[in-house]
Amino acid sequence: MLANFVWWTAIALEVVILLRSGRTGLLKKYPLFFSYIGCVLLTEILGLLANALAPKLYEPLYWPADLATILASYAVMVEIFRWSTRHKPGIRRLTQRALLTVFILTVAYAASNFVNGKFGSPSRAVAALGRDLRYVEAGILLLMLWLLQRYRIPLGRNLRGLLIGYSFWVGVNVVNLALWFVPGNEFSILLRGLLPATYLFTLGIWCVTLWSVHPEPVQPAESRIERDYELLAGKTQAVLARASTRVARIMRP
Amino acid sequence: MTGLLAIIILGSLILIFGLRIALQSPNTRTQSPSITLEEFANAREALDTTFVEAAAIERIFSTEDMEFISHSSSPQARRLFLEERKALAIQWLRKTQKQVAQLMDLHFRLAGHTHEPNPRFELKLGAKYLSFLLVSYFLLFLLWLRGPFKARRVVAYTSHVAGYFCTVFSLRLESINAVHLGPDDSDPDTGV
Repeated sequence: MLANFVWWTAIALEVVILLRSGRTGLLKKYPLFFSYIGCVLLTEILGLLANALAPKLYEPLYWPADLATILASYAVMVEIFRWSTRHKPGIRRLTQRALLTVFILTVAYAASNFVNGKFGSPSRAVAALGRDLRYVEAGILLLMLWLLQRYRIPLGRNLRGLLIGYSFWVGVNVVNLALWFVPGNEFSILLRGLLPATYLFTLGIWCVTLWSVHPEPVQPAESRIERDYELLAGKTQAVLARASTRVARIMRP
Repeated sequence: MTGLLAIIILGSLILIFGLRIALQSPNTRTQSPSITLEEFANAREALDTTFVEAAAIERIFSTEDMEFISHSSSPQARRLFLEERKALAIQWLRKTQKQVAQLMDLHFRLAGHTHEPNPRFELKLGAKYLSFLLVSYFLLFLLWLRGPFKARRVVAYTSHVAGYFCTVFSLRLESINAVHLGPDDSDPDTGV
């Protein structure tokens, strides 16, 4: 009964988020994020239909659907990086290339394990790939959060909401995944029970923060600080080389 | 078990950082990376103090005073001298750590202000800062454990790396035109 309530509430919230984004225009602004919501909605509807009409199909459908959701969730991170570095085209290109490389490496690693017969069945391989991607995603997300805070990159209210909800969901999921295989861990059982509720909470955050369009913070006009950056970087590198030589000399016994 | 712990820490850190972002004011003014004249002046002052104090710092770790006290004073005076020097050394190290952290913060904010920061340079500087933190905390532990006279080599390293940071930021601050910086918003009477 409770599971059904959570399922239907999640579907309702996802539909509201998608409809609202179409009306406000945020759908065009954050297409990857709303594709993720659409993907989750689709897998939930398919799951519900399979559960009601063809229960035998539910299990074979579960892992591919889960993998599709995790792949779509990786795209959300690309979206957040894309928007937070929108005023820095060089950094934007670099992060997009890095995200793509990490993604390809993770898939290649899982594929090689599958080819070498490390997994008993395709569903196990899919589950392992999903888990690995989630861990990689978590690592990159942590780095991104640290960089955003360290460099104090200003975020608009919509992007902030998107990021907060996403961090909450990925964080809880990673802790849950880690504790999943600890036998008899009471906290793991509790967390697994709470997972659907945390998803509803995440959807609630997105629903509130993406309800209307908020302006993005304006990047300050170019100043002398920026124009001098290349020159300063060159000078600093020269100082670094000199200092390293000096430090090496001091540390020598 | 180690892997499990690492993943739990990873997930928990994501939640903590997410919460920090959620608790920050959504007001764009407080999120702005602009640097005020006061911060700029404080950074300059911190740098100047570091350079001026170099001779005094050398003296804290100098073995000459220790040799003199060992030869001519009672054990009680020697113990008092050691305690005093240890406290001074720890105080100096904590102050240096704080100053370098302030300068790094200023640098991060300047880089956040820049349209095209150089990722390679940022990475190198970040690695250097991380190594400084590790060595300085190790030195702090060493000072606390063995006193200032048995940690001279690590002191030399820390002092030079701190000097490097000061040179880097001195170069950077020299190139900043103070006219372009934001005014200090605080009330001069209340300091708020």
